[in-house]
Amino acid sequence: MQIRKPDSALLILGHGSTENPDSSQPTWDHAESIIRTGAFGSVHCAFWKEEPSFRQVWPMIEENEIYVVPNFISEGYFTRQVIPRELEIEGHSSQRGEKKIHYCDPVGIHDRMTDLLIKRALEIIDDGTKVEETALIIVGHGTNLNKKSTEAIKDQVTAIRERGPEQGAAFAEVLDAYMEEAPFIADWKEMTDAGTVVVVPFFIADALHSYQDIPVLLGIESEPTAAASQQEVFRRNPYEIDGRTLYYSSAIGTDASLAEVILDQVAYFDEHYLS
Amino acid sequence: MTLAETLETLLPPDAELRFGEIYLTRDKEGTFAARHRDDRESEDGLERIETREELRELAKFDAEGEYRPLKTAPTLRRGWITKTGEAADFLSRLDALYPGVFATWVAYQNGEIDPVPLRDTLERQTGMYKFSSSITDQMANEIMRSTCGKGCVRVITWPIDSRCPVSRLKPPAKILPVICTEACTFAVSEARRLAKEAYDKANAV
Ligand code: SF4
Repeated sequence: MQIRKPDSALLILGHGSTENPDSSQPTWDHAESIIRTGAFGSVHCAFWKEEPSFRQVWPMIEENEIYVVPNFISEGYFTRQVIPRELEIEGHSSQRGEKKIHYCDPVGIHDRMTDLLIKRALEIIDDGTKVEETALIIVGHGTNLNKKSTEAIKDQVTAIRERGPEQGAAFAEVLDAYMEEAPFIADWKEMTDAGTVVVVPFFIADALHSYQDIPVLLGIESEPTAAASQQEVFRRNPYEIDGRTLYYSSAIGTDASLAEVILDQVAYFDEHYLS
Repeated sequence: MTLAETLETLLPPDAELRFGEIYLTRDKEGTFAARHRDDRESEDGLERIETREELRELAKFDAEGEYRPLKTAPTLRRGWITKTGEAADFLSRLDALYPGVFATWVAYQNGEIDPVPLRDTLERQTGMYKFSSSITDQMANEIMRSTCGKGCVRVITWPIDSRCPVSRLKPPAKILPVICTEACTFAVSEARRLAKEAYDKANAV
């Protein structure tokens, strides 16, 4: 869908990190690629743990209509509590002085994420790999603290299964797994008999979880790698482990197509919530 | 007036401004330039940086390669210069180094933002930061002295609580002020740390 809103601004919100320099990069990258499309009068980013912060960003935005898209993987504490409180907005649309603010759904819950996960999995396996003999595992954090993100992953797994071979998802199996709750990603070898396994992390950025913790749980690294060498983890695909072939993808949020999903959430807002 | 136009007015041709650790100039032809203020004597040997993306990358790490999550920490690297004839482009480059700092100053000057008292910021916190609101005034002063005073080039404009009157900052000559209108995540984390330390000490057996 083509978006042309030269009189509106787009504000993309990310978590950011005070420890990890890579955390906000995908959000900036998506913003830059949307700037190049010219879809909005201006495009801005703001972060919970970096600058500009959610509180600092308003004076930077000169347009009177602002679409806010959380670059978060699911609904939850941040999208429901922290963001509305820090931005001082309520409901789908709020008036703040002269500014009309439209609060869109987080990127992770858009239907397009299903296409993206399938695309990502098919992209990283080598040519000639039999997809129908390959298991796809979508991995998330999983704790009681964030039930919504677990739900989001389960929904994606169901959606990919429903697509099936007719719609380009011929995987032998599609499974969900988590770092901190069952089914545990550390048990991936017991979860499936498939000879080839593709693991895609359902995270916004390649932060500590996706390039340090999960590789250890998968058995492809013996200890957490340093930030500088993170890309190595993804470059060494495939891994041969106990007679199985394992492919490990970088976080889904780093995929360049996520910029399109951000725009899709704006379009979804206009169709469903704009009054 | 747009922010870019305001910047053009504040920095007319053949003028200079200090902006935190950054030194801003505009030559007679109107070209804007920014560099580290310790590099102001000469452009010789400075690396030309042409895009905001590269400036954002530059601002990410200090000279020792340490991550700089607080962009106004007094650790901006030296050795670069960025130039453009376009005010809007120049502003986006400054925002890559000091995100939103120029816009905050303009809004403050125009009376569009009121500094938020520290206690209001702390009381708004939820989750693990809720505890931060129990700090004493003495701890608040300690945060302002160390986290803010030593670790940040911003000038604080907020009071500790809404009962303390604060006078509004006036723009000094040749300086574009780098101000703080509300305590950041680092100050809030430090408040939590101090509050927790005091609590643990009081409850130790
Ligand atoms: S509270 Fe303001 S002055 Fe203090 S460290 Fe944070 S940004 Fe700097």
